[in-house]
Amino acid sequence: MTATAINPSQIPSATRARRFAQAMKGFLISPRWLFVIIALVVWQTYAVFRNSRLIPTPVKVGATMWRILTSGIFFEQLAASMTRILIGFSLAMILGTIIGILMGSRKSYDQFFKAMVILGLALPGLIYALICVMFFGISILAPVTAILAGSYPFVVINVAEGVKSLDKDLIDMSRSYKIGRGKIVRQVILPSLLPFILAAIRNGFAIAWKICTLVEVFGAVSGVGYMIKNSFDQYAVYGIVAWALMFGGVMLLIEYGLLVPAERYLARWRPKVKQVI
Amino acid sequence: MAATAVSVKDLVKCFGDLRVLDNVSFDVEESSLTTIVGFSGCGKSTLLNVLAGIETTTSGIAEVSSSKNLSARLGYVFQSPRLLPWLTIEQNLVFVRPDAVDEATHLERVHKYLEMVGLKNVRHKFPYQLSGGMQQRAGIARALCIEPAVLLMDEPFSHLDEITAGGMREEMLRIWQETRRTILFVTHDMQEAVELGDRLIMLDYHGRIFVDIKIDLPRPRNLTDRVFIEFYSDVVRHLQAMQTIRAEELAALGVS
Amino acid sequence: MSVAVNVSPNSTSLAASKRFAKSFKGIIFHKGWLAILMVLVIWQIISFFLGGRGLVPSPARTAATMWGVLASGEFFVQLGDSLVRLLIGFVLAMTLGMIVGVLMGSRWFWNEFFKDIVILGLSLPGLVYALLSVVIFGTKLLAPVMAILFASYPFIAVNIREGVKALDKDLLDMTQAYKIGKWKVVQQVIIPSLLPHILAAIRTGFTIAWKASVLTEVFGATSGIGYMIRFNFQMFAVRGILAWSLLFGGVMILIEYGILVPAERHFARWRPQILEEV
Repeated sequence: MTATAINPSQIPSATRARRFAQAMKGFLISPRWLFVIIALVVWQTYAVFRNSRLIPTPVKVGATMWRILTSGIFFEQLAASMTRILIGFSLAMILGTIIGILMGSRKSYDQFFKAMVILGLALPGLIYALICVMFFGISILAPVTAILAGSYPFVVINVAEGVKSLDKDLIDMSRSYKIGRGKIVRQVILPSLLPFILAAIRNGFAIAWKICTLVEVFGAVSGVGYMIKNSFDQYAVYGIVAWALMFGGVMLLIEYGLLVPAERYLARWRPKVKQVI
Repeated sequence: MAATAVSVKDLVKCFGDLRVLDNVSFDVEESSLTTIVGFSGCGKSTLLNVLAGIETTTSGIAEVSSSKNLSARLGYVFQSPRLLPWLTIEQNLVFVRPDAVDEATHLERVHKYLEMVGLKNVRHKFPYQLSGGMQQRAGIARALCIEPAVLLMDEPFSHLDEITAGGMREEMLRIWQETRRTILFVTHDMQEAVELGDRLIMLDYHGRIFVDIKIDLPRPRNLTDRVFIEFYSDVVRHLQAMQTIRAEELAALGVS
Repeated sequence: MSVAVNVSPNSTSLAASKRFAKSFKGIIFHKGWLAILMVLVIWQIISFFLGGRGLVPSPARTAATMWGVLASGEFFVQLGDSLVRLLIGFVLAMTLGMIVGVLMGSRWFWNEFFKDIVILGLSLPGLVYALLSVVIFGTKLLAPVMAILFASYPFIAVNIREGVKALDKDLLDMTQAYKIGKWKVVQQVIIPSLLPHILAAIRTGFTIAWKASVLTEVFGATSGIGYMIRFNFQMFAVRGILAWSLLFGGVMILIEYGILVPAERHFARWRPQILEEV
């Protein structure tokens, strides 16, 4: 018989290097750069042609981004926003996980919370932002409460789904082997819940930072949203674009650099991971 | 001497460097039932796909002809039923109406063949509401309702449990004797091949014809008859010879 | 053509009315009402204790405001303005999203080409599009339309891409073996298998679209629901904000669960199981 199964640890380093080079080549020679070039050229030409204060050139946006980055303002404001997001989102995770577990385990809880969760999913973050700003002014309670109210429903639906998909047969199997309760929770229930919790973090976090930005637009004296609002008030389109792209970039980095790989790792025992893009 | 329904001459089919069919030549008589056997990946399904026009030939000829008043149409029964899930059983059969046939005539045929396979009273159901065996029957009715010159069948019963498959085989033979369609039947099951066919073609690992024999057993065939068992043993001996050759080839290539 | 009629097992009018009564009873005695009732009671208690400051209007006063807005007809005037913008922007977003999605689903090149911009588009908040289009287009109709277009097309593209990728090659081979014409294949094979994905695209895209349109109206419009919400915000009228947003949210939930979800279910009735979302 031929040995077809290849153990990764047996791959000689030369092959590994070649594989890395191939991956790099795949990254560098990709139509994605064609898009970037076309977009930049079209944007630059249009901006120069229009010659309007309202349409900044990509060069100017780039310069603004560089300035914000090197002067350290970006990290200052990012830190202010991140503090609010983390506090608000941690609370949303706690509340969402509790309700999600309740909804997943009992039908009556599911019915009880369902209408509220649907309403919560449907209402725009704007409403939470405006109302919290009116209640709490520029205190930190405003973003925290708005994030909590806006992102917990997304945590709920993911956690509830995870609890509903728990395999009762596996728990019965563990019981038949007389495995202790703590061990069942640690080795059976938690591992099957983890991918869903990670998905909850990913979806909820994406909503959380958007709501935080909104709150900062309407009522804050610091944070990325506040800086975007400042640029808006001065009709500085380049400022809006620069701040939005950089903040969006950081959030994408967190999502695709941290959360997606973590989710994939935790769900690696599943036959197929549903990949959105 | 009956007329030729399918003629394949020097057929070669390659996927990149891989040659799955190598110089395959054979003619099939009209109204006969020919079974084609071979190992998975030896190109049996590709042969049918080439005949059906789903794949192109690399070189050689594969054509279907007809002497009777039939146009050279093909009915294809796949391994999985491949019914359109959003259409009812009847709509699935209506769907394949050839351009040359008018709607009323086709609908008449649809009902005739649904009756023949015993699905007339479930014709308004969606495929998912039917069992696997019934879905496969619908696939057969779909192939028959275009009144094809040749019926191609690609392991149509391999997804079914053995008891259902046995019943389906009997039913298929009945339909074949009723309609006298030419059938090319691909399978990996030697016993099924000997039970059903007038003739058996065995492909080897390189996509070449290894054995091409007539099966002169009387019908209905009984799997416990001495003549059947003797013939079947012969076929198995061919198979073993093929495996010996394969083992020698691999040894020559230095693969342990 | 024959019509499939024998699907429903008990189609006598008596059984139908019984079933209706049962589902009606299900709605009336649904535990969801208990949750809503509890929220209302807690809200009433809080507003009772803080009532003096006017920041927390009681549910009764909020309902009165809602009624006032509804009865005077003002709600429908503003809703009309918002819906016109929403529909124009959304139709454009559907068109762009379908084109990008089909390209991404069918060819590797286009998938790589559009991938980055679609991911960026999915993640940037609607706020950014709203502010940019208000600065650039002011209070013109183009402002909400552009904001809606750019905020919601990525969600449509992603759904359509999934649908195109999920097309069953075996079925397409089958149509080739039976020599079915191209147009018939598009009509009877490709469109039906894309339909559930198109409807999902409409549903997610629409949700994003109306949120983006409200935001645009908040920052730069002289009419529409978003404008009314901003107006109330500036007047410090919490009950106005609540009344307008609850009414508008209600209409959107009605559109989603009254039209879009049933449509999705109808077009997926040939499937063995319908994926039920919350």
